[in-house]
Amino acid sequence: MTDAGSTTAATGGPNPITQIERDTLATMTHTSWAYWAGLLAAVSLMGVGGWAWSQMLREGMGVTGLNATVMWGSLITTFVFFIGVSHSGTLVSAILYFTRSPLRAAVGRSAEAMTVIAILTAGLYPVIHLGRAWLAFFLLPYPNQRGLWPNVRSPLEWDVFAVCSYVTVSSLFLYMGMLPDLALLSRRVTGWRRPLYKALSLGFSGTDGEWGLFEKAYPIFAGVAIPLAVSVHSVVSWDFAMTLMPGWHSAIFPPYFVAGAIFSGIAMAVLLLGGLRRGFRLQRYIKAEHFDLLAKLLLGMSLVMTFVYATEFFMAFTRGSETESEVFRWRATGTYAPVFWSVILCNSVAPLVLFWKRARRSLPTMVVLAVLVTVGMWIERFMFIVTTLAHNYDPYAWRDYTPTGREMLVCLGGLGLFLTLFLLFIKILPSMSVAETMQGEHAAGASATEDSTPASEVSHAA
Amino acid sequence: MRHEDFVAVFADPDVAEKALRSLHDEGVTTARVASPAPFPVVHHTGHPGPWRVLGWVALVGGMTGLGCAIAIQVVTSRHMNLIVGGKPILSWTAFGIIMFELTLLFAGVTNFTALVVLSAVTRRWFPRRTRQQVTSERIVVVVPMAGVPEARRKAIRGSMSQAVEVLS
Repeated sequence: MTDAGSTTAATGGPNPITQIERDTLATMTHTSWAYWAGLLAAVSLMGVGGWAWSQMLREGMGVTGLNATVMWGSLITTFVFFIGVSHSGTLVSAILYFTRSPLRAAVGRSAEAMTVIAILTAGLYPVIHLGRAWLAFFLLPYPNQRGLWPNVRSPLEWDVFAVCSYVTVSSLFLYMGMLPDLALLSRRVTGWRRPLYKALSLGFSGTDGEWGLFEKAYPIFAGVAIPLAVSVHSVVSWDFAMTLMPGWHSAIFPPYFVAGAIFSGIAMAVLLLGGLRRGFRLQRYIKAEHFDLLAKLLLGMSLVMTFVYATEFFMAFTRGSETESEVFRWRATGTYAPVFWSVILCNSVAPLVLFWKRARRSLPTMVVLAVLVTVGMWIERFMFIVTTLAHNYDPYAWRDYTPTGREMLVCLGGLGLFLTLFLLFIKILPSMSVAETMQGEHAAGASATEDSTPASEVSHAA
Repeated sequence: MRHEDFVAVFADPDVAEKALRSLHDEGVTTARVASPAPFPVVHHTGHPGPWRVLGWVALVGGMTGLGCAIAIQVVTSRHMNLIVGGKPILSWTAFGIIMFELTLLFAGVTNFTALVVLSAVTRRWFPRRTRQQVTSERIVVVVPMAGVPEARRKAIRGSMSQAVEVLS
């Protein structure tokens, strides 16, 4: 990116605010070989996934391991997983906004972008799972000559409304937060980017009136986004809980899904922020304290998930339903027992290491844990979908399911798409809020000046 | 910018805030600020805008969304011969979800639209060329000088003595 802004303050000396702008826009201005390598890997993964999907379109869903008993498998697992990843971005960002947390300036933008990208990726999987993807528009309610209308009493139809609303609101939430930064960018860059950013900034100029409006509109939007985020994953949980299937038909599913979504979303945020911090030398803004806070959140959600797993088993064995208790017994000891115990290891046992402060402050430990939790959450979704379907009411129909190679490639393609879009996002748009970082650094400087305590002690106390 | 305006550029938000406070002490409450970030200085101009309206606009948007969701249910149930798996389409409990989603969707979209439109309106109070001066290291303070006596003009200029640049 060409820099048209001055590098020094108008007084001639270095300006800390300009430095903040330069640092926070580092993801756009500096492109290392590691970035290109990552982008190439992500695009390749996406390409392989696209090839595997083309095989599904050409040869039909027979290329998957799905059968009449287990008709939902890895594709629906990936849908639920990415909805989960998407969940926490907007939610965490909005909550951090209301709590005035200093974590927001560092984490908020990436988390919001992660939400939008993850939900776009997630939306692809029900369409892929349809087999005949070109008929996906049947899900939309519109008058047609066939006299068809989607069944609005089905949670699958609620998904259409919930996911479409969520992607719209999350995109606008992300965009609204970026308006001040886009306005700054439009004055900083040259060439074709200048009119682009100018148009994208919608004329935002930073006048007192605009800031007044912005500070009023943003909390309203955050207030809309929080219940919407909770509702979306609740609706996704009802895809399962509204059926009478053993292991699914449970009132605990909405909070269970919401907690799991926040859990996997935080893990993904740790991975993305770790990459940004290391790759673009943003240690000054994405601090060890931020990872410490994220680690505490991760640990807390892990404990919640463990409680939910235990509650599910407790309820299954005390409810008096033989089918239900059999499904849970089989889940822990049957064909898919390794899957179940992997979930326990990744989601319940491994995060316990975060009770130690040194682990919370260690970026490599956090990254390893975040990878384990991310994998663990995908496996968890796979576990509860497949074990219930494979081992439900009719023993005659019991059948196992193993995803085929092409099915798994389609799932990995989703990861490639997610990473590709995120890497493009940080290259084209600011991945940290410049205005909020300026405001935060200014406020921190002001409070340090007001307080006579030396800066090192303030930092230590914080 | 208008010829009568006094435009000063500050590099430090604290200095700009101090200058604005000094203007207030002089009895000048007509100053405007444009800033790259919501520093406290932007809250010292004494120009409450129409932003109280935003909450009501979002509420009206949300109610419209709710109305649309109800309309989808009622109109399609009564006027269209629809096939929904042999079951009646009118089901308020099931539609509760769609009502909730559309209420929030419309509230959010309306809120955003109102922000964009009202921002464009409030921006017009600020001279265009002056707005373009704002960068990460430039906070612009504009004081309308039309009809201000010469003695007071001097006082205003004195309050702005810490500015790194005076444009007019």
